[in-house]
Amino acid sequence: MLTALVLGTTLLAFLAFAFPKSANGAAKWYGVAVALAGLVLLELMDPAAFPPDESARWLSYPFASNFHLGMGGVSYALVQLLATVTVCALLATNVPRQRNFVGLMLLLEATMLGLFLAKDLLLFALLWDAMLIPVFLLMIGWSVHPATAWRYLIYNVAGGLLLLLGTATYGVIYGTTDVIGKGQVTPISDAWAPWILAAFAVAFLVKTPVFPFHTWMPDTYAELPSPVAAVVSSVQSKAGLYGFIAIGLPLFTAWTHEFATVMIVLGTIGLLYGAVIALVADDAKKVVAYSSLSHLGLILIAIFVFNDYALRGAVVYIVAHGFFSAAMFLVIGYVETREETRLVSRIGGLARGSPILAGAMAIAALAALGLPGLAGFAGELFILTGVYQAGYAWLAALALVAIVLAAAYMLRVYQGFMHGPEQADLPQRPDLRPLEIVAVAPLFLALVLLGVNPGPVANYPDQAYTMLAEKR
Amino acid sequence: MGIEGQYPLLFLIWLAPFAGAIVIWALGPKLKSWSGPIGCAAIGVSFVATLASWADAVRSGPAGATTVVGAHQTMVTWIKGFALGLLWDPLTLVWTLIITGVGFLIHFYSMGYMHGDRGYPRFFAYMNFFVFAMLTLVLADNFVVLLVGWGLVGLASFFLIGFWFERPSAVAAATKAFVMNVVGDVGILFAIFILVAVVGSVSFADAFAGVQAHAYNGQLLFIACAALFVGCAAKSAQVPLHSWLPDAMEGPTPVSALIHAATMVTAGVYLIARCWPMWQGSADARELVGVIGGLTALLGAILGIGQWDIKRILAYSTMSQIGYMIMGVGVGAYDGGVLHFFTHAFFKAQLFLTAGIVIHALHNEQDVRRMGGLRAREPFAFWSMLVATLSICGFPPLAGFFSKDAVVYETLVKGHPVLYAIGVLTAGITAYYMFRMVFITFFGTYRGEIDPSSLGIRHPELAGTSAGLLKHPHDEAAPHEEHAPAWLMTAPVAVLFVGTIFAGFLDLGGTNSFWYGLLQPVFGATIAPVEGAAPFSELASSALVFIVVLAGIGLAYLRYGSTAALRDSVARLRNESIRMFPLLTNAFYFDAAIDALFVRPSRAFGTFFGVVVDPLVIDGAVREARVSALWLGHLFRSFQTGLVRAYALTIVFGAAAFIVYYAVVGAH
Amino acid sequence: MSVALANYIALSAVIFMIGAAGVVLRRNPLVMLMAIELMWNAANLAFVAYARASMNNAGHIFAFLVITVAAAEAAIGLAIVVIVFRRAEFVDVDEVSVLKG
Repeated sequence: MLTALVLGTTLLAFLAFAFPKSANGAAKWYGVAVALAGLVLLELMDPAAFPPDESARWLSYPFASNFHLGMGGVSYALVQLLATVTVCALLATNVPRQRNFVGLMLLLEATMLGLFLAKDLLLFALLWDAMLIPVFLLMIGWSVHPATAWRYLIYNVAGGLLLLLGTATYGVIYGTTDVIGKGQVTPISDAWAPWILAAFAVAFLVKTPVFPFHTWMPDTYAELPSPVAAVVSSVQSKAGLYGFIAIGLPLFTAWTHEFATVMIVLGTIGLLYGAVIALVADDAKKVVAYSSLSHLGLILIAIFVFNDYALRGAVVYIVAHGFFSAAMFLVIGYVETREETRLVSRIGGLARGSPILAGAMAIAALAALGLPGLAGFAGELFILTGVYQAGYAWLAALALVAIVLAAAYMLRVYQGFMHGPEQADLPQRPDLRPLEIVAVAPLFLALVLLGVNPGPVANYPDQAYTMLAEKR
Repeated sequence: MGIEGQYPLLFLIWLAPFAGAIVIWALGPKLKSWSGPIGCAAIGVSFVATLASWADAVRSGPAGATTVVGAHQTMVTWIKGFALGLLWDPLTLVWTLIITGVGFLIHFYSMGYMHGDRGYPRFFAYMNFFVFAMLTLVLADNFVVLLVGWGLVGLASFFLIGFWFERPSAVAAATKAFVMNVVGDVGILFAIFILVAVVGSVSFADAFAGVQAHAYNGQLLFIACAALFVGCAAKSAQVPLHSWLPDAMEGPTPVSALIHAATMVTAGVYLIARCWPMWQGSADARELVGVIGGLTALLGAILGIGQWDIKRILAYSTMSQIGYMIMGVGVGAYDGGVLHFFTHAFFKAQLFLTAGIVIHALHNEQDVRRMGGLRAREPFAFWSMLVATLSICGFPPLAGFFSKDAVVYETLVKGHPVLYAIGVLTAGITAYYMFRMVFITFFGTYRGEIDPSSLGIRHPELAGTSAGLLKHPHDEAAPHEEHAPAWLMTAPVAVLFVGTIFAGFLDLGGTNSFWYGLLQPVFGATIAPVEGAAPFSELASSALVFIVVLAGIGLAYLRYGSTAALRDSVARLRNESIRMFPLLTNAFYFDAAIDALFVRPSRAFGTFFGVVVDPLVIDGAVREARVSALWLGHLFRSFQTGLVRAYALTIVFGAAAFIVYYAVVGAH
Repeated sequence: MSVALANYIALSAVIFMIGAAGVVLRRNPLVMLMAIELMWNAANLAFVAYARASMNNAGHIFAFLVITVAAAEAAIGLAIVVIVFRRAEFVDVDEVSVLKG
């Protein structure tokens, strides 16, 4: 079933390219239907009894490698997020050459589905690079400054190469790469382990991104068309964090402890650094980009304090951040299509003419600043509870500063756009159309439901939690 | 003891306002003027359900009981240690009664006050949402749901302060209030971390049981209390997190009455009263809270002297009165502090609503210098304001007298003579600035037609917080002929008279009083009267306070109310405006300090990192790598001449070098 | 009575040097090709000499391989020279530097 999901989405993605030129509008609905079917398939699964793994040998020499797909708790949270956000992003899509756009978006979904379900390191590494291609092409084809695409590609391919190198080394030394989700299989004393982990870590940190590997990110997020930015910021950026949870922690348990200090320091720097830059950035998309740097830094910290609360919080926050950053990008996209700018200093007073738009942005911004009662809060609460419990009281206190800053910068964007006097020189545009509301509504629903009870996401059974518990 | 079994009405109390908010928010444009009655009905249902639930609890409880017995039930468990549910006990009951009761009156009043405003449905949606959020706060049986309510009331406050969002000053005030309240939220968050680490649970019961079991090591209990108090200080406008409250007067007046006087700002008092076992366990925490509360009471009263905006005067008086409450619950006088919350809700709501009537009558004038002589023009407002002012000053036998004297005397009983002195002094200052307002506003002659500059108003358009550059939104939508009937606004105020005058009688009779019987199950022996702990009796203390209050009123009369003062009031007001201490007009420079210490540095950091470090240093390093690669390329390029013979020569020399090398190495 | 191995090697080295000097010093591509041919054959001589000395046939086999490769190389080289002649009327390799970086 999992193979069918991944390969089926891939095939159907290619089918979108075959649409005739006249059927651009139909292509969008085709894409929505495909993504929705995937989502329905995922929702039908039972978290207590995931479908069995599916595996086929595809390499025996120089090491054994399988096309191995399987579902775990963390994967399940992520693929649900991915499917939901893809549906919403496709609903909100309104671009020229729509069929190609839709095809690439579905391809992006398919590669990431495969990535989060991959149980084999080599498969993981290959899909890691494969998922760059659709984003790169989307950027080349639909962004204002296609040159930014090269920056994205070079940074991420550099990371991808390290990942591949690490995977190859791992395979040659340990004989197999079919190891994800099998618990700790590496002899801890091995001299190669830290180098492999380091290669993986750099790849993961670039992708997330974490300070100081983040400079590709603000421009990329700002340049990408909003639906793509929503998917990339909400799901693709989680690939690295997922990598740490699913690969780093189980395979290199002892060495991750050696790496913990560095990771926590990097995460903390990113946490505050992103927040203060978001405080002054004028481009709304860059504010969200730098806020992502801040939020994802917090998740990195959560992973590397090795605490059950923090790890479960990390998963909740990964999902919550996925929903609210996607919502932010889509809503900013709505504003941008109406006002042809997204500078906080230029826009003002939209709430008067577009109350629904204002409401939508309010919910997205409030979730992003961690309003209690919405999903982001639950994630922050669990993470910081765990951070404190793990003995980093000062770090928990420092993170609270970032939460206060988050309130300041998110409100700055919201109020800059929506409140204040109307700007007379900006075009008067209608409020959100029903379709635009439908596109963001699932995200808001998810944010509220997760905020009321994050339990389901936090309690998906996953070997990462059991390993953490056994260690203690 | 399940909530669903014993108190089926609890969900109705809790969710009726939420349903109202959702209905009005979704259907607002269609409901139009019906949104007001629907909003009122939602709160009314909640209030009736509260009473019914109380009656039900008394009937089914032990004979002679006047209160509900604490009960809570878990509704949902997030993860281990995070079991969340609702709680129904006397303390919650007191707050719920005020939130829904006074809340209903203020909703009713708003139907008149907000009549004709473009945002009429939006206003009621926000107000209903606020009531829901506040009920969430007080009905929680754990710190997480409490914090959810805590955050949501802040959100409602944000939207209502910025209700007229076209005004930049309102937008700035809303942001300021929200961000300062987030500072408070994270304080409570930190306390939750400690609790989970120590007792492994976020529920009140487990946290307090931990105090009994001495689970907190060393200073941890104090740190937890202090962290909680950061939340209280932000929400209840305690020094140094108070400066958002005066600015919050940008919101419509009913908002100021409900949120920034009667209910939300007292959440800090609720939290400390709720967590009294923790405070009982830490003397340092009691000391801290008592001192901050006393300081706030004094500071608010002093700042109240220097204000000209009628709503800002009331805002500072709110801050000062909450200082009393915090001081009360801080020193351990939980019943007194809660009683002061109870009576304050009535008289402060009445003050604000009456101020709203005045502001409404004068077409949104808020500067008291441009009022005057309104006694004859607005007799109802005058009598209402006078009675409520006497109540806030603690004039016997009005409600404020009982609660304020209880708090002040308790500080002495619990052994804080300095706080007692502050309490007495503040009572005098309160009487002075409140009567200053009454005299300037209602006595003498009307000054609204006089040139503002002759009153010392330098920037008339900026003088009030909201008599502003932009026309008041009321005016745009509806001409004044279409004003709602006056009784919509006067009737709720008339009802509030009852509370303002009689609410204090509940405390008559010491341990036999209704109030003691109500709260005794919560606080137990901690609020039992202690004999002989104070150097003099409560009656003597009351007499002392009364004398000080009379002195304050007398001073205000001499400066503003006497015949001589009223005769040349214009010149006097101008003089005072010009000679006002900068310390007072700038509110002790708290805003400037916060700006210089926190706001500017973070923005400067942001600019520095965003403009310099990120593009030039970090990305610069990457670009440097690219440049070096280019340079290397250029270097190697020069070797590629394209001349075959040059290549050949290189090869020959290379081969020769190999041979020579091996010849030499081979020789050794 | 056989000639000493060193003599073969010395002869091979001398021929190789002559060839190398030809490649480096002459500008006519045809002559350069001939010089390269000399170098090949110097190498062949060394192969065969060593093979005889060590009584091992691998050297002979390599010599044949070299002859084959040399033939192919000469064919390709001549073809290139002809094409260059056609494109430009000169016979000086220094004038042909289209591969300059």
